[in-house]
Amino acid sequence: MDDHFRAFSFVDRISSVESGIRISGSYTVPAQLESFPAPLVAEAVGQLAAWAAMSATDFRFRPVAGIAASIEMLAPVRPGQNLELNATLETLDDEAIAYEGTAHADGTLVIRLENCVGPMVPIKEFDDPQALRNRFALLRGAGAEPGGFKDLPPLPLNLIPGEPGQSLRATFSTPHSAPFFNDHFPRRPVFPGTLLMHSNLQLAAALAAGFPAPTAGERWAIRRVTNMKLRSFTQPGEELEIEARLNQIGNDAATVTVQTRNGTRGVSTARVHFVPEKSA
Amino acid sequence: MSNANITNDEIQAVFPKVSATMADALGCDVEEVKLDASLIADLGAESIDFLDIIFRLERSFKVKIPRGKIVEEARGDLSEAEFEHGGVLSEAGFERLKTFLNEVPADRFKAPMKSAEIPRLFTTATFCKMVIRQQRNAATTADSQPA
Repeated sequence: MDDHFRAFSFVDRISSVESGIRISGSYTVPAQLESFPAPLVAEAVGQLAAWAAMSATDFRFRPVAGIAASIEMLAPVRPGQNLELNATLETLDDEAIAYEGTAHADGTLVIRLENCVGPMVPIKEFDDPQALRNRFALLRGAGAEPGGFKDLPPLPLNLIPGEPGQSLRATFSTPHSAPFFNDHFPRRPVFPGTLLMHSNLQLAAALAAGFPAPTAGERWAIRRVTNMKLRSFTQPGEELEIEARLNQIGNDAATVTVQTRNGTRGVSTARVHFVPEKSA
Repeated sequence: MSNANITNDEIQAVFPKVSATMADALGCDVEEVKLDASLIADLGAESIDFLDIIFRLERSFKVKIPRGKIVEEARGDLSEAEFEHGGVLSEAGFERLKTFLNEVPADRFKAPMKSAEIPRLFTTATFCKMVIRQQRNAATTADSQPA
């Protein structure tokens, strides 16, 4: 089956659009998945904002992930839940979109994105403008059939021991091929920035596992990502190196800085904020 | 809009907020953000950082900064053909740029200069002046509104 609009698409329906101002929609997380990590929820909000940007530019430009000043991860999302997505556009022109957005799962706020900026790129270099127009019409009308997303392929980190509790590195190979590359994007496959963020969070969590426990019966949990910045496109089959380094730690908060590089080329930077949470 | 009459006092007035904003965006210490620091050579900024800084300055100063227009502003009344040929600044364009970016130390201007290399010249002061120009524009627009 064609992966376009399925393998990495997280908006099933667009319920309202005020052109260039705000947009609302929804996505049903496929029930058969084992999990639906927070970066994919952020991706859903970003894709909704992207639909607003693409339609407002008559499908001449589309935004790509660039900067997220703050992504608050407030509650986990379970497979089968319905996400209500909202995005408000602060600025939109041919060069960039600035927006904020939220996702609620069955009425509970699960993620909040603030001060996000996406550089705009010519759509036709990445996708078929007419196919996007048709898809937008479908989302605005009857909506897409849910369940297109089948899961992510394994994206393992190869950990390199560092200074326990202080720093941790990993190598990470983006797949040479994967269904999501046919959706993101059909004419120019790019490893999704939110999957890079997913890898960054996994490494930060592995580092935090070595921190002293906040108090007995508690563990460190990721609450927020700030200053997430994607510095360059990541192609299929790239060999990346990710480094997580403790920035500061106290009784009720810890911060980790994460950098991704390919050789000397900077790929991404982010700050990951942990808070104490009761151990399961 | 010309910036020849932007005073040092005006620059100093916005500098603390501009430098703090830039330090946040670049993840560096605010002490590193000197007025004459080159964003690319000294502070390691990349193109996505420029976008980040401009959006942060817009929010911080509540002004609208026209992205990507600095070269257009530098060109002033010169036509594109008079300003550059085949992506390289003409003699007139080079002199116009030196006047427009008069905050940049003169030894950083190397002829022949490609248009694509202009952002390499930008300093913290360049962004201070960008904010001041937009503050002036906003004040002019507000003054021209009917009461």
